[in-house]
Amino acid sequence: MPQIRLNNITKRFGKAIAVDDLTIEIGDGEFVTLLGPSGCGKTTTLRMIAGLETPTDGDIYIDDVCVFSSEKGIDISPDKRNVGFLFQNYALWPHMTVYKNVSFGLENMKWDKNRIKERVFELLAMLRIEEYSERYPSELSGGQQQRVAIARTLSTGPKILFMDEPLSNLDAKLRMEMRTELKRLHLETGSTFVYVTHDQLEAMTLSTKICLLKEGLLQQYEPPLDIYRYPANYFVADFVGSPNINIIEMEGEQINLDEIKLTNNQLSLLYTPNSSSITIPKGKKLLLGVRPEDIEICDEGTIEAAIYSTLPSGMETIVKLDIAGLLVTCVVFGGVDFPIGSRVKIAFNAKNYVLFDRESERNIASGTLS
Amino acid sequence: MNYRNRFKSFIKKPQNIILVSLAFILMYLTVIPMITILLDTFTVHQSELMRVKGSQIGDFTLYHWTKVLFSSASRKIFYEPFLNTLIVSFGTCIIAILLGGFVAWLVTRTNLKYKGIISTLFIFPYIMPSWTLAMFWYNFFKNPLVGGAPGIFTALTGIETANWFAYGPFPIIVVLGMHYAPFAYILIGGILRNMDANLEEAAQLLKAGRVKILRKITIPIVLPAMLSTFLLVFSSAMSAFAVPAFLGTPVRYQVLTTQMFRTLNGLNPGYGYIMALLMILIGVLILGINQRIIGKRKSFTTITGKSSNIALINLRAFRLPVSIFLLISIILICIVPLITFAIESFIMEPGNYSLSNFTTLFWVGSGSPDIANGEPGILRNISILRGLWNSVKLSVLVAFIAGSVGILSGYAIVKKKNTKLSALVNNLAFFPYLMPSMAFGAIYLSMFAVRRGFIPPLYGTFALLVLVGSVKYLPFASRASVGAMHQLSNEIEEAGTIQGIGWWKRMLRIIIPIQKSSFISGYLLPFISCMRELSLFILLVTPSSRILTTMLFQYNEKGWSQYANAINLLIVFFVVISNYVINKVTGASIDKGIGGN
Ligand SMILES: Nc1ncnc2c1ncn2[C@@H]1O[C@H](COP(=O)(O)OP(=O)(O)O)[C@@H](O)[C@H]1O
Ligand SMILES: [Mg+2]
Repeated sequence: MPQIRLNNITKRFGKAIAVDDLTIEIGDGEFVTLLGPSGCGKTTTLRMIAGLETPTDGDIYIDDVCVFSSEKGIDISPDKRNVGFLFQNYALWPHMTVYKNVSFGLENMKWDKNRIKERVFELLAMLRIEEYSERYPSELSGGQQQRVAIARTLSTGPKILFMDEPLSNLDAKLRMEMRTELKRLHLETGSTFVYVTHDQLEAMTLSTKICLLKEGLLQQYEPPLDIYRYPANYFVADFVGSPNINIIEMEGEQINLDEIKLTNNQLSLLYTPNSSSITIPKGKKLLLGVRPEDIEICDEGTIEAAIYSTLPSGMETIVKLDIAGLLVTCVVFGGVDFPIGSRVKIAFNAKNYVLFDRESERNIASGTLS
Repeated sequence: MNYRNRFKSFIKKPQNIILVSLAFILMYLTVIPMITILLDTFTVHQSELMRVKGSQIGDFTLYHWTKVLFSSASRKIFYEPFLNTLIVSFGTCIIAILLGGFVAWLVTRTNLKYKGIISTLFIFPYIMPSWTLAMFWYNFFKNPLVGGAPGIFTALTGIETANWFAYGPFPIIVVLGMHYAPFAYILIGGILRNMDANLEEAAQLLKAGRVKILRKITIPIVLPAMLSTFLLVFSSAMSAFAVPAFLGTPVRYQVLTTQMFRTLNGLNPGYGYIMALLMILIGVLILGINQRIIGKRKSFTTITGKSSNIALINLRAFRLPVSIFLLISIILICIVPLITFAIESFIMEPGNYSLSNFTTLFWVGSGSPDIANGEPGILRNISILRGLWNSVKLSVLVAFIAGSVGILSGYAIVKKKNTKLSALVNNLAFFPYLMPSMAFGAIYLSMFAVRRGFIPPLYGTFALLVLVGSVKYLPFASRASVGAMHQLSNEIEEAGTIQGIGWWKRMLRIIIPIQKSSFISGYLLPFISCMRELSLFILLVTPSSRILTTMLFQYNEKGWSQYANAINLLIVFFVVISNYVINKVTGASIDKGIGGN
């Protein structure tokens, strides 16, 4: 039973379209991330589900209850949708202590004093901020404010939790730590999380499913590894993954039922699609997507390349290769340092290389290279 | 040696030079006059020789203070006007804040229609001279009970207005309230725009009702800023002179300013000075309270900036009615008074609105000996045209000085922020704001009547008007400039410094162009305020330095209301047009000087 369903949701601000005909389903207990560059409509989408923003068109269902419908004129107010919302800037009330901030929602639910106190301290303990209960928000660090905001959002035990770039104001180290905690929190609460970020790494590591948006349009809605392996189009392929995927311009020619010859000035490769249902006319312009880890530097390789630069970071080394003028990036496990200019051999031994139509930028196949 | 080097490097920085010179100049122009006046109130003058027995001129005496505060006459001289001032100021604040706050809320937080035109027109009552509405009220509702012809309302309906409605505290409060509502609107609008809407949304998601959100979240958060709005409006209302003079005098309703005018113009300037000092004291108290509120522990400055995505409240069925009602009311307040002035200035015999009674005499007539001593119509009247010229000259000079000094002070204050010197200059530059205009004028009158240091005796000169105006309106310019400089990151100037660009060039080519509209606002507000200022100058003008506003007041006192109405139209016309033109050409607006954004 789906928990949240958006049907053809559109939001216009004046003439500008912020969200364009979005249809997705978010299942019970999932951790869904809305991912995309800044200004692509993530916050707007989140706010529409929470009821803070009114869609121009479409329907929204939560737990099979229609909470918004432009056609039927339904618009249930945010306080009746039983959702929690963690704002990007935390939105802590500056005139209330940490305790007051967290207890506010419980007071609204008319809990009795002792139960409130118990619950607040349970939350503060869980988030390790008990000792700050009497401080005002302005007396806390960014990370502590963040935890208070989480405690406040969790206080009423919402089954659905929205988070708008909650980690973007924290420094890198704290962000790592909070990521782990958010994942733990997701398990502990068993709630549905809808999470907004523009950081693809965050989305990859946290979510059960990623919803990738571009200029208000849904690009792909799938689990992270599927998005990584089978990007729906060039934009998605380019947006996820760090270092970036290598995109090589090629021309194709079907030479066999299941073999395509890919050529450009530097390379000439044989491509075997994993499912053999495509036909490529001769001279078709294509883009070959090669993940950096799918280029292997080995003596058995058939392609010659020169080392352009190396960036060892200890655990891995990012190597830029020059194949007769074509620059590609590859990743080698461990700290390997190649002298610049030295010549190596490379091979494409992985199982998954993606092929895009250069014109439509759509994914047309994935397959192996030889 | 070390000291000398430190001094050398201190004096090398332009901001230090600016701060030090401003500290001295402003001390000299604000604090010293006050002390002089204070001492003066303890001194025996020629006129009191008889009363203070066995004294000589210049002796120390408590005579004035006891007379004003602890004598049988104190009630009439001081306590009653004081109480009236408090009543009027409180009433004004309440009306201004409710009205201005409500409109600010509608404009910033709801999907009201006609926002553009409403926010433009709503500022009008503040741009127009404050007595415009007072004169309107007077013209419209005056009754024959007090003497003179009935007003338009009575002429139209035949209903005689009650005294309490036509004169005294009620109309004063209403008129001042409307005059300062735009002021509150600008300040509260700024607060609401800066307040993060997510704070309210967070409460709503935690199931707080509308009323609870307002009570527990919105109001507590905007309260400190509201309070400081309250205090600013209060101190402005306290120093208002023209409105109580127009609407209070017919029923002898005195407030401190009108009382001060009487005593300063009469035989006992000492009483007036005491009142001035007490009003300044209240002003300083207000500033103190204000700073206390702002500097609290749980300081309410937004924690992190960025409050995007504000969803405007949908007024639904109320949208159109509220929008239209608001628009019409504002048009009524802004336009109708002007129409009545026009009408009044065209009628021969006041109170008779029949067509045969209309005349253009007061505008373009050559003057007939049986009316107003043969004064020609205002457009042909040399002395009025000279007054207009004086007004314009004065306003331009004051705007130039106040605006330029304001830019420098804002620059230096922000550059050296968090230092004692910067705080001192910041307070000194704001101090004139708290001085009631009339008191300020009175002080300058007494202070600069004789040679003071390098300043020659200025009494009766035009220069005195320019000086007092420049100091009085410096706060507007310095606030606008401080606001603008805060928005400018220091690196912008440093980028220029590193390339070896000199200070003057940095100011003229980098800093001023970037914040052009804010800085021009710092010129605009002094200009407009000066054009419509009466109480600051009324004690200082002499026949040769008369300006339009003081002439208007004199004509009105003589009972030649047609001339007064015509002059008022002239002033309003001039002020509104210049505001409009400057706004359109440069993007400057008076909001910025007041502290909105
Ligand atoms: N209240 C608003 N009024 C007008 N435009 C808005 C408003 N909120 C968002 N937008 C526009 O809608 C688009 C999507 O915004 P948003 O959802 O905040 O993007 P994201 O969160 O993905 O960065 C942007 O182009 C933004 O300028
Ligand atoms: Mg966003």
